[in-house]
Amino acid sequence: MMTRDDLNTLLPFHANGTLEGAELAAVDAALETDADLRAELAALQAIRATMRSEEMQSPGDLGLARLLRVVEAETAIAPAPVAANDNVVPIARLRIWQIAAAVVFAVGLGINMLPDGTGTPEMESAMSEDAAPAAEQGFALASGGSADFTVIFAPDATEAAIRALLLEAGVEITSGPSALGLYGLGLLESGRDDAARSILAASEIIDDLQ
Amino acid sequence: MDSDHKFLMTRIAGGDKQALAALYRALERPVYRFIVSRLNDPHEANDILHEVFMDVWRSADRFEGRSKVQTWIFGIAYRKSIDVMRKRGRMDLTDESFDMVDDSPDAVTCLAAGQEAEHVRHCLETLKDDHKSAITLAFYQDMTYGEIAEVAGVPEGTIKTRIFHAKKLLLRCLSGRIERGVA
Repeated sequence: MMTRDDLNTLLPFHANGTLEGAELAAVDAALETDADLRAELAALQAIRATMRSEEMQSPGDLGLARLLRVVEAETAIAPAPVAANDNVVPIARLRIWQIAAAVVFAVGLGINMLPDGTGTPEMESAMSEDAAPAAEQGFALASGGSADFTVIFAPDATEAAIRALLLEAGVEITSGPSALGLYGLGLLESGRDDAARSILAASEIIDDLQ
Repeated sequence: MDSDHKFLMTRIAGGDKQALAALYRALERPVYRFIVSRLNDPHEANDILHEVFMDVWRSADRFEGRSKVQTWIFGIAYRKSIDVMRKRGRMDLTDESFDMVDDSPDAVTCLAAGQEAEHVRHCLETLKDDHKSAITLAFYQDMTYGEIAEVAGVPEGTIKTRIFHAKKLLLRCLSGRIERGVA
């Protein structure tokens, strides 16, 4: 026999629909005869509906591009077959190549993983319904502003570090990443070209600045 | 759905980056929402989300398949956000800050009628972190108490207790605000 506290404890799980078996039967039986319990359940259902209706902008494809960039960089550190000397690639070029490969791969996913039959069936079914619109957005940012600078961020640059740098330099991301991993940066109204350039040039998380 | 996620985990353990991307697309939004609900900082949450999926990539081969993939990943997010909160030095927010207590059902049911998102958001923020996490997982993610216990790494009884108190405090807070007519 359940106590009132037991029933109270289980009520949120009745509200979210996960209660089963004997526990569900016991709560349902109590609800039939207890108006206070029914009122509380209605309140919990309202709270749940309110919480779930809140919109939230997640990192989406930009977050995925970042993830794959770092994964690709980590993978590239693994021992590779020994190459002849004339195949040695300069470090700077290698990093751009790695980033390009990661982003091209990510863009490919954005196209191939759409639930239109072009991805593998297993992976399509593993995508959530609300993930599909994000996949359709691709990787272009839609701010529409023109770029005063073009940069490549270091593969291990964090969101927080990038944000801090953009604020310090008085710029915003206007486009990117391109297939080569390039981001366009535009000056904010308060920003100055020479000051922003020197801040970006001195930053450890900028691999390349044009 | 979980069998799909487990299939992806097997592929990820074998180094399949497409599988990682597919799992990210499937779970990124709910995991991110959970992290934001704990940290209250979308930018910091971006970095934690990134770290969570890096952990998935690095340790997929250690996933034993005894729990749901979603539960396992939320567990990683839970522990990482605890680390962040410890660094911030704010693990326990007060949950005894309500100056008016009225949990009568009549007041509570007013919730169904109006624009209550702001009230709910405010009252969630007054809960202790453990309480807030339990309610968030129950209502945002529709997890069972067993799954929430797995995410938090505590016994089911502990989660039931947390939910019991969280619900009570949440309803009291909401009733108080509605009674006072807080905008």
